[in-house]
Amino acid sequence: MASVAAWLPFARAAAIGWVPLAKNPLPPPPFRVPTSGASPSGNDRRCDEKIIINVSGRRFECWRSTLEKYPDSLLGSNEKEFFYDEDTREYFFDRDPDVFRVILNFYRTGKLHYPKHECIAAYDEELAFFGILPDIIGDCCYEDYRDRKRENNERLIDDRLHEDEDKAQPKPQSIRETMWRAFENPQVSTMASVFYYVTGFFIAVSVIANVLDTVSCGTDPETGYARTCGERFSRQFFCLDTACVMIFTVEYFLRLYAAPDRLKFIRSVMSVIDVVAIMPYYIGLFMHQKGEVSGAFVTLRVFRVFRIFKFSRHSQGLRVLGYTLKSCASELGFLLFSLTMAIIIFATVMYYAEKSVVHTKFTSIPAAFWYTIVTMTTLGYGDIVPKTWAGKIVGGVCSLSGVLVIALPVPVIVSNFSRIYHQSQRADKMKAQRKARQTRIRLARNATSNAFVAAKRRHEQYLDDPDIPVDKNIVNPFELQHHHLLRCLELTTDREFVEMGPDALMGGGANAVAGAHPTTGIARLGSPARQFILNRRKWWCCGDRMNNTNATTNEEELDEELGDFQLPLSLTPRASGSTGHIVNINTTNVIQHRPSSASVQHNVVLHSTISESSTNRFDLNVPFDTDDRILGRRKTNSLTPVQEQGSTNDLLNDDSHTTTIPTSHSDIIHRPTTDDKQTV
Amino acid sequence: MDEYSSSVCYTDFDDDGLETFKRYKPRSLDELASRTKFSKKEIQLIYQGFKQECPSGIVNEETFKHIYGQFFPFADTSSYAHLVFATFDLRASGCVTFEDFLLCLSTLCRGSIEDRLRWIFTLYDTKKSGKLTQEDFYVTIRAVYSLLGNVSSPRYDLDTIREHTASVFQRFDKLHHGYITMQDFMSFCLSDQTMVQSIDGLRTTV
Repeated sequence: MASVAAWLPFARAAAIGWVPLAKNPLPPPPFRVPTSGASPSGNDRRCDEKIIINVSGRRFECWRSTLEKYPDSLLGSNEKEFFYDEDTREYFFDRDPDVFRVILNFYRTGKLHYPKHECIAAYDEELAFFGILPDIIGDCCYEDYRDRKRENNERLIDDRLHEDEDKAQPKPQSIRETMWRAFENPQVSTMASVFYYVTGFFIAVSVIANVLDTVSCGTDPETGYARTCGERFSRQFFCLDTACVMIFTVEYFLRLYAAPDRLKFIRSVMSVIDVVAIMPYYIGLFMHQKGEVSGAFVTLRVFRVFRIFKFSRHSQGLRVLGYTLKSCASELGFLLFSLTMAIIIFATVMYYAEKSVVHTKFTSIPAAFWYTIVTMTTLGYGDIVPKTWAGKIVGGVCSLSGVLVIALPVPVIVSNFSRIYHQSQRADKMKAQRKARQTRIRLARNATSNAFVAAKRRHEQYLDDPDIPVDKNIVNPFELQHHHLLRCLELTTDREFVEMGPDALMGGGANAVAGAHPTTGIARLGSPARQFILNRRKWWCCGDRMNNTNATTNEEELDEELGDFQLPLSLTPRASGSTGHIVNINTTNVIQHRPSSASVQHNVVLHSTISESSTNRFDLNVPFDTDDRILGRRKTNSLTPVQEQGSTNDLLNDDSHTTTIPTSHSDIIHRPTTDDKQTV
Repeated sequence: MDEYSSSVCYTDFDDDGLETFKRYKPRSLDELASRTKFSKKEIQLIYQGFKQECPSGIVNEETFKHIYGQFFPFADTSSYAHLVFATFDLRASGCVTFEDFLLCLSTLCRGSIEDRLRWIFTLYDTKKSGKLTQEDFYVTIRAVYSLLGNVSSPRYDLDTIREHTASVFQRFDKLHHGYITMQDFMSFCLSDQTMVQSIDGLRTTV
């Protein structure tokens, strides 16, 4: 990042403040420093040049360093050399210059915008060509981009669905799956459609039968009273009802059989409706035989009306309505609540206003509720009216306010439907985005830190054995200086930066492996997919951490615990007991991935200062600083090479979460590590 | 390359007065080049980077923190950035203009060893008392440690910092006065050859 590079001199200059405090002498700078303020000439200044990019005739110019900010993209990497035109000494791209302007601005400002007038497909294509991921789009334009993208995808899906109707579907495995697919998607086969229409028909028939059951159908010849069709044609109705219930029962059991997850199916709303629709019949059957409680039996028949809800399987609209009602429950609740308040208030006032009237219908406040409701909803049945002037005035106010109270929330609720629906979708989107973005930031930071540790290790390796072929890729001067700065910080404070990676948890076991494969460890360092992980419980519960027997379970548990922390904590294996050995352990940890013994001295020098000051730090009897959670009394597992996972998981946000230190770390500390002792 | 107009620094107000923002334009390039030890080209480069990060022409403490945050990925940069900011803020106004910035940078990068040691003294002397006490050292060391963040090994805690402070202070305070004056500080540092070398080592070309 060029702008950050511009500040590096400042950061380095300000770092001279550390010098008097440094515990160790600081390393020499990575390049020859010009003495006494002679201003350097142009070429080692920035190694920068202007490059010209010709996009379909429009020329863009920028510094090379601007483009190199994002080395993963086409323009930032060597890939652009494929487009270099020697004759005109420019890079030529036969692409859309308008979109390229936006892309180049991304390099300049670090923010990628989405021009609203562009077609989303064309924009995506350009981004893909130039190797830029769309999720870098800035907040200002991201929603718009996502919405357009979604619409476009839906259009594509619709197109594809129409295509798919002609294509053959993959054959499902079993009868069960066929049936389930048939139930869920009636267009799949003719059999399914037949079933769909048949059940729909019978639902309609059943509902109509319920309705006609109660129509009066002439008089009863025996008693002379009017009787309903249900009584007159009771046998026919009974047969019809039985047939419908048969069909519904069979359908229910078929669905139950076909469902992939039966428990879930039983708990689903439609299944409950099915059961409620057919239960009254069976209950009626048994109760009819017993011949008692016919009143309850009649009540149960009311539940037959629930059969109409079975239509919601047939109607998308009903399902959407149900969903929106559910999601607007709070608004509806508020409406109900405010109405209730108003009703109670007005009913009370009406009751006391009309109390003096003789033979008043307002016999009690609950009796006045009915009046209030009818008035507020502007129904005005007229069965109960105020007679006093006060009552009439109150009645007037009641009806006026009723109009307001009811009319106002309704549009609010209606708009709430759409707002809430969109909002919930957007909230989920943004949460996922935010997580992803935090992940990226974390990974980037991680990568910076790990790059430093890697470079350091490479350098040390090189120092130990200059014969080892060193990777020839030249580190750019910015990185050199940045790493030098970090190294100065390390030496000032006598600490070392550690890598983050899954190895941090794999802990002691990895140590044993480390000594054998230093280079492979380093080679894997370049992987971008590191993650912060922390599995706090692992430290204390798995005693075999040293032997790395729980490597696989660590990984699994990682996934579930990623939600908790994001700080890496790793524990160095300790020798038993005496603090005097602790220095050795440190050095052995460091040593273990050195190939030669010549490095021992190097590290001993480095860590020798730890020994004096470390004694009280590792004194187990000293209580923890529970208030300062960031500074834990743990030693980290420094420089353990990597056993990478390669998978990215979601990470959490801020640095402020740290772990509290369990009290049983003494177990870890006292555990002997035979591997360590050998290398010492 | 841009040429700077030789206008005086002024405060800019937005048209509708809703948002006022301060904008500083530095004095001319020539003047800056004459006042500092940088060449014109270097000043141009520094200004370009500066302007990129702070388009308004002034740096505030937040920006310092942000910048340090980019170099020390896991650090809690607020304390150290605060210290450094205090030294850059020559007029104690709460914001650092480009000129202040350039002047300090000139001292740090191109100044004599004495100037730089003086700057370090100012950095430590948070209370501007002219003397350094153990408390000042503690604050500074704590700030430096916080730059490490949590990714260091071995971990540190307040005790570590205190010990470090104590050992450093003892090294400086040979006469056990309990405080260190500028003279003591400078003479001690100048006598320590490794220190001088290290300070030189952190000189950076722009």
